[in-house]
Amino acid sequence: MASVNIENLDKKYGALSVLHSLNLTVADGKFVVLLGPSGCGKSTLLRMIAGLESISAGEVQFDGVRVNEVHAKDRNIAMVFQNYALYAHMSVRKNMAFSMRLRKVDKKVINEKVEWAASILGLDSYLDRLPKELSGGQRQRVAMGRAIVRDPDVFLFDEPLSNLDAKLRVQMRTEIKELHQRLKTTTIYVTHDQIEAMTMADEVVIMRDGYIEQSGSPMMIYDNPNNLFVAQFIGSPGMNVLRCTVVEQDGRLLAQHEDQILALPADANVTAGQVIYYGIRPEHLEPVKLGEGEGAVGGAQAHIRVVEPTGPEIHLYASLAGQEICCISRTRTQWQPDEPIVVTPDLEHVHLFDVETENAITPNH
Amino acid sequence: MNSSTLTSLLRYTVSILIVCVFIFPIAWFALTSIKPISAVFNKDRVVVFDFEPTFENYEVTVLGGKKADTSQGASIGMGTSGAGAYDGRGSILSSLIIAVCSTALATVISLLAAYALSRMRFRGSQGYMQWILSQRFLPPIAIIIPLVFIFRDLGLRDTHLGLIIAHTLINIPIALLILKSFFDDVPLEVDQAAMIDGATRFQCFYLIVLPMIKGGIAATAVLCFIFSWTEFILSVFLTNSIRTVPVKITTFVTSTGSEWGYISALGTAAIIPGFIFILLVQNHLVRGLTMGAIKD
Repeated sequence: MASVNIENLDKKYGALSVLHSLNLTVADGKFVVLLGPSGCGKSTLLRMIAGLESISAGEVQFDGVRVNEVHAKDRNIAMVFQNYALYAHMSVRKNMAFSMRLRKVDKKVINEKVEWAASILGLDSYLDRLPKELSGGQRQRVAMGRAIVRDPDVFLFDEPLSNLDAKLRVQMRTEIKELHQRLKTTTIYVTHDQIEAMTMADEVVIMRDGYIEQSGSPMMIYDNPNNLFVAQFIGSPGMNVLRCTVVEQDGRLLAQHEDQILALPADANVTAGQVIYYGIRPEHLEPVKLGEGEGAVGGAQAHIRVVEPTGPEIHLYASLAGQEICCISRTRTQWQPDEPIVVTPDLEHVHLFDVETENAITPNH
Repeated sequence: MNSSTLTSLLRYTVSILIVCVFIFPIAWFALTSIKPISAVFNKDRVVVFDFEPTFENYEVTVLGGKKADTSQGASIGMGTSGAGAYDGRGSILSSLIIAVCSTALATVISLLAAYALSRMRFRGSQGYMQWILSQRFLPPIAIIIPLVFIFRDLGLRDTHLGLIIAHTLINIPIALLILKSFFDDVPLEVDQAAMIDGATRFQCFYLIVLPMIKGGIAATAVLCFIFSWTEFILSVFLTNSIRTVPVKITTFVTSTGSEWGYISALGTAAIIPGFIFILLVQNHLVRGLTMGAIKD
């Protein structure tokens, strides 16, 4: 096992710069997820760590030792690719044994290791099949088996679940997390699926356009997004964002969106007349039917457009002064489309962002 | 009769008709090879099946029998140019040596080149393929004169090696084009996975990618073999004493007449090695060997 350190890493393709002076530390044994929309450079970063892409500037270090010039085959890493990249002409057993065969490991040891990996991954009865005789999920497991028999210093996963169907994805997600808890190998995992990132990671690194926007534990990022991009990228359904002007009424600061008024937290670091983005997650926006609430302070009127029951909760998509918002109801109220409602933000969880920089406005303390 | 039965009946009829059209020349050729000369040259009517089959044409051309030894029936006065002039055994052997060697050489060279062109980026790699292909734009007849002089100066004229090189030269562009497209079908991640597993570039090529394109290699080899086996122009200009089968057959057309029996016998016999070669590799001529490597 090893820690991975990235210092001022640049990647350029000719004049095109795709990664800009990145710094990242992955502590030994951690599960780090690189998260971002397609084209943000997360896969490129992973491939540079793997040694599959050249490094334009900066350093990649394993356990503090520079590995820029070390060939992929000598980095003692294992990688699982999005399209599995199995050796189609080899049986599952041979696929898994390939790396050990190259290192001339004793046949008995190879067999033991392969069978150990197969038992962990539930592939015992498929060892002599060819990849084409396996289902997508089983192929993905073979790719993982090929990685774990290596006993690598670092595991690299490049969107390994994006080709699987929804149910299998959830199952494999749990399996990969379990595997990590069992093997405790440093893992770097690339995905564009924020739920994967939230559920699996010890630490999430959010990237955009070749920059790291924010990194930290999933819940820390969820609760304290640095900027509007991170706030909207993390969470499903996404955070509601309303463009508001700060107004003063009876000595209190409020946020006005069109003709609707929303309360602001008491410690909001804003001044009257300032234009801000008002962010509130759906679960922190409480809906009540118009007239049924006690005229909650700081609530705004909206019209329900779509009602989506999910079981434990009901997602309401509504229009607030022309702006689409989502709020979550945990009561078994009979919501109807076109019904007017009042939504009240939980002031503990309001996020304010500067309209110019889109950075979070930190509260006064 | 419902419409689907009618459709399938029609389909079979058309298929059989098409097969007949294509098989007819070969069948007629094979039939001619076992006809006595009187049946080949019957001025009154076309002899199809009503003749006494004879294998003397094969005895002379393939088994090395002497023309004079065989009872030729009514000789129609074909001139011969000495004993063994119709013995095609040496030609078949020469053709085999040249076809097998040039196929092997062209395939191996093209494999290495195609892998590099498919996997590596280097200055000029884009135009490189076009440049190589442009070697096939010229008909062989256009390059034959310089080639004859070059081969003469190098001492390669009238040698097996010379013809092997010439056939390899002609085969490489097309083999390269086909093999590159097969390599392109194997995702780059497969190479990268192998490299991360600890394979060198050559091990990637040899242990991983090559077995995955077996079908493509077999198909390419078949094409190269057929080209070399049937090639005429280069062989006729670059050799005198070594006669490949197509060249040998033309010598059966003499100033005094054409030996149709011998021509068809050696021609029919010449189909067989190609046929055997294709039978040998056809097990590998299946698509979808890369199936399962990736999620399709």
